[in-house]
Amino acid sequence: MLLQLKNIFKWVNSGGQRIFLLKDINLTVEEGEFISVMGPSGSGKSTLLNVIGMLDNFDEGEYHFLDESVHTLKEKHRANLYKEYIGFVFQSYHLLDDLTVYENLEMPLLYKKYRSSERKAMVADMLDRFNMVGKKDLFPAQLSGGQQQLVGVARALIAGPKLILADEPTGNLNSQQSEEIMQLFKTLNQEDGVTIIQVTHSEMNAAYGSRIINLLDGRKIGD
Amino acid sequence: MIKSLFKIAWRNLIKRKVFSSISILGLAIGFGSAILIYLFLSYHLSFDDFHPNQDRIYRMATEEHMDDINYSASVPPAFAKVFREDYAYAEKVAKIVDREGLVLDVEQNGGINKYSKNIMFAEEDFFKIFNFPLKNGGNAVSLSAPNTAVITESEALEMYGTTDVVGKTFVLENDATIEITGVLKDIPNTSFLNHEIFISFENLEKYSEFAHGENWGGITTNLQCYALLKPNQDIATIENALLELPKQHRPNSKNTHIYKLQPLSDIHLNLEYGGLNPVFLVVFGIIGLFLIAIACINFVNISTAQAFYRSKEIGIRKVLGSFKRQLFWQFLSETFLISLFAMILGIVLAILFLPAFNALFEIQLTMESLVSVQFFGFLLALLLLVSILSGSYPGILLSRIVPILALKGKLNHNDTGGATTRKVLVVTQFVISISLIVATLVISRQIEYATQTDLGFDKESIVMLQVPETMDSAKFYDLKERLKQVVGVQQVSGCLTSPGAGDTFWDTTVKYNNRPEREDFSISVKVGDEDYLNTFSIPLVAGRNFFKNDSITELLVNEKFAEKLGISSSEELLGKTLAVNGDRVEATIVGVVRNFHDSSFTDEIKPVFIAPTVRWYNELGIKINHLNTKSTLEQLKKEWSQTFSNHIFDYRFLDERVAEQYETEQRYLSLSKVFSGLAIFIGCMGLYGLILFFVGQRKKEVGIRKVLGSNITGILTLFSIDFLKLVLIAGAIAVPFAWYFMDVWLQGYTYRTQIHWWYFAISIVAVLVLTLLTISYQTIRVAIKNPVNSLRTE
Repeated sequence: MLLQLKNIFKWVNSGGQRIFLLKDINLTVEEGEFISVMGPSGSGKSTLLNVIGMLDNFDEGEYHFLDESVHTLKEKHRANLYKEYIGFVFQSYHLLDDLTVYENLEMPLLYKKYRSSERKAMVADMLDRFNMVGKKDLFPAQLSGGQQQLVGVARALIAGPKLILADEPTGNLNSQQSEEIMQLFKTLNQEDGVTIIQVTHSEMNAAYGSRIINLLDGRKIGD
Repeated sequence: MIKSLFKIAWRNLIKRKVFSSISILGLAIGFGSAILIYLFLSYHLSFDDFHPNQDRIYRMATEEHMDDINYSASVPPAFAKVFREDYAYAEKVAKIVDREGLVLDVEQNGGINKYSKNIMFAEEDFFKIFNFPLKNGGNAVSLSAPNTAVITESEALEMYGTTDVVGKTFVLENDATIEITGVLKDIPNTSFLNHEIFISFENLEKYSEFAHGENWGGITTNLQCYALLKPNQDIATIENALLELPKQHRPNSKNTHIYKLQPLSDIHLNLEYGGLNPVFLVVFGIIGLFLIAIACINFVNISTAQAFYRSKEIGIRKVLGSFKRQLFWQFLSETFLISLFAMILGIVLAILFLPAFNALFEIQLTMESLVSVQFFGFLLALLLLVSILSGSYPGILLSRIVPILALKGKLNHNDTGGATTRKVLVVTQFVISISLIVATLVISRQIEYATQTDLGFDKESIVMLQVPETMDSAKFYDLKERLKQVVGVQQVSGCLTSPGAGDTFWDTTVKYNNRPEREDFSISVKVGDEDYLNTFSIPLVAGRNFFKNDSITELLVNEKFAEKLGISSSEELLGKTLAVNGDRVEATIVGVVRNFHDSSFTDEIKPVFIAPTVRWYNELGIKINHLNTKSTLEQLKKEWSQTFSNHIFDYRFLDERVAEQYETEQRYLSLSKVFSGLAIFIGCMGLYGLILFFVGQRKKEVGIRKVLGSNITGILTLFSIDFLKLVLIAGAIAVPFAWYFMDVWLQGYTYRTQIHWWYFAISIVAVLVLTLLTISYQTIRVAIKNPVNSLRTE
């Protein structure tokens, strides 16, 4: 078991009313799974992903990640935990505009105190694997959307996470670019054994995964 | 990691050129000013710190207790000998006496060059107390024999064209031939001593009988007495022992002397004993801090406003595993980088403005003073201080950003925070600017008041000529008559000093109307002939002027004298006798003149008597017609030179001399003008940055408003109203603040101007207008753009 959510509730209070963003979510994810979270807008997909990624808090319930009880951890420990095991991929890539491809890839490593020579090797390896050696000195704005997302995925992978969380990773891409990214995810999942949870609107993308979770109004209605 | 931080900091700088320039330029001006102010302060604090025995060197000073206390940086001429011989406290005691404008004849290339020089008559031991070494090292100065002198290297160069002048001679005051026995290294600028020529004390008698003799009768401020104490002396004990001296030597004097030992380090910055006012340095320091503060505030404002732009980057970094602490340090290192650039620029600015700064404050700072361990220490400390001050708050704000909100672009301005802080900071800047403008207005008004108020005498179109040697009556009246004949001359008066002579005064005590005791207040002596009143237009309020006379038989007093005596009617004084000059002379009061300001407005008007004595005439006051000043002066020179053929003609205008009393105030004024200008400039620049940012952020809003029918005025109002409110708030804070401090400043003046409400009104309006101008430029630029452009990008 990689992670387990037990009776997770998350709400906001608005105008004296409690609006539930997540309602009684129970979810167990095993290592090596490729899960697609689906549901209409506002159903809580991204919120769920953020909770799993420890970027967002929840109000009630238990969350176990590997051997740790996330709900009892202090923020600093939580940060350590996701830093170590989780990579993020975003719909709008979220690359740093001021950094080159190379530097964007290097950044997570800087925060993990790798030595300079190690960083060089790891970035070079990643550039090689994603066929981006020629683009390493370009800035994000000089790349197409697909290429930017490729960098985004590479950046998520570089520190060797156990879990990749992808929030509509192909939402800004055309169909051909989408397909490439999804193919990449599938390869990563099957050949490298990386666990992937993606949020998507597209049935086609969901089909790449091994399991689909449906959400409606913050509640899990199908698994 | 560090490399990566600096890399991104650099790229950020390049990317936001305008904001970076504003931050860097503002900080650079702040740094430049701080550097100059630091140099200025360290210059003034380093006076005479180069004497090996400086802790044991003291200047002998006197507190003169009469109806009030007068502090004099001198002692009676006889003091030195007694202190040296009758007491065992000192290793060495030496006195020096300075005389201004003595004539030196130097023979060179067969001809004779005349110089007018300030001379210090010094006892040989003076050079054993202090560290003023000879050119070849050592302090073996030989001045004990009469007709010997030592001069500095630059003086030697000026007079002889070489520094190899030992054995050469010059003629002093067309009389004694003086031989140079040594050449001194130049005296450092940071010394109480600013003389170049030192002549044996034995030669003094001719030029000041009083200072040369063993007198206890009075004090001349031309004389200074220094002592090198034996180690481990208790000053209080010594001062206590010295209490005996006045009892012994001045038993009958109403002017009770208390002798004091003033430490060497105290000389430059003790106002009472004629040093620089240390408050001046404090004010300087505070202004330096203000400028740095304003520059830091700019920086904080601009960077917190930009936090919004950077929130995405922060969000990503956090998600990728950065800790708050790391982000904080990232931001701090960026600030450091910016500060470093600013500092380099600041140093360049400081170097560029050093000459102007020197001229403004009449000091001699050099580039060499920049190359010292202390200075680099100061720079480093300043750099770190500014980086931390201006980097930490934005750093905290940025590192606090919640990543998922930032990544979703759902952050608005209030979430990035700092809006309230920014307002507070902007208000602080305005408060400083408004206060500085008020200070500038009040100071200049006080100077104007002092220089334009009726001083009780006329100072316009009056030329003061020196009388270089004592004259007998025949010589004086001959010269006066000839000067009177010069075209354009209206009045001529021989006198000791003009009214408004400031520092140069002569105080004495008198016996009124045959009373048994002398009065317990001192009275200023204005020696002058029968034309003194006419020349300086001093009106009589009772009685008549005295008749032409060579010496004192009749005299005039001022109204203040009557007041001090407690006599209400001036008429009552007429016909009464006054015993002056140590009771040796008795004269009749024949007239009472209106009070006039003899010294600066900081001092109360003193009682005065005016009487003639030809041999004391030191100056000639000449009232001229201002239309033909130049030719009149030439004629005056001709007539004067006929009498004093061996002297150098020199003149001064009385109004300039009076203005000199306000030199400190003039400096305060230049100071507050320059620095309030800078403060306002930096402030406006920061404001411009903020506006640039707000306008950029609200482009879309402006577009929508224009489409909905708003005009340019409407949009300008939209942006400026908030800032104008801040100016008004700042005004409300600045008024009591500035009022209080300027009132304290004005309390230092016995005669002073009022603080008017409109000083504040002017200052606030000025800042309002500047703010509006600063805002308008950017706002109007955006407002006149076609709204379609700003809306289309969405």
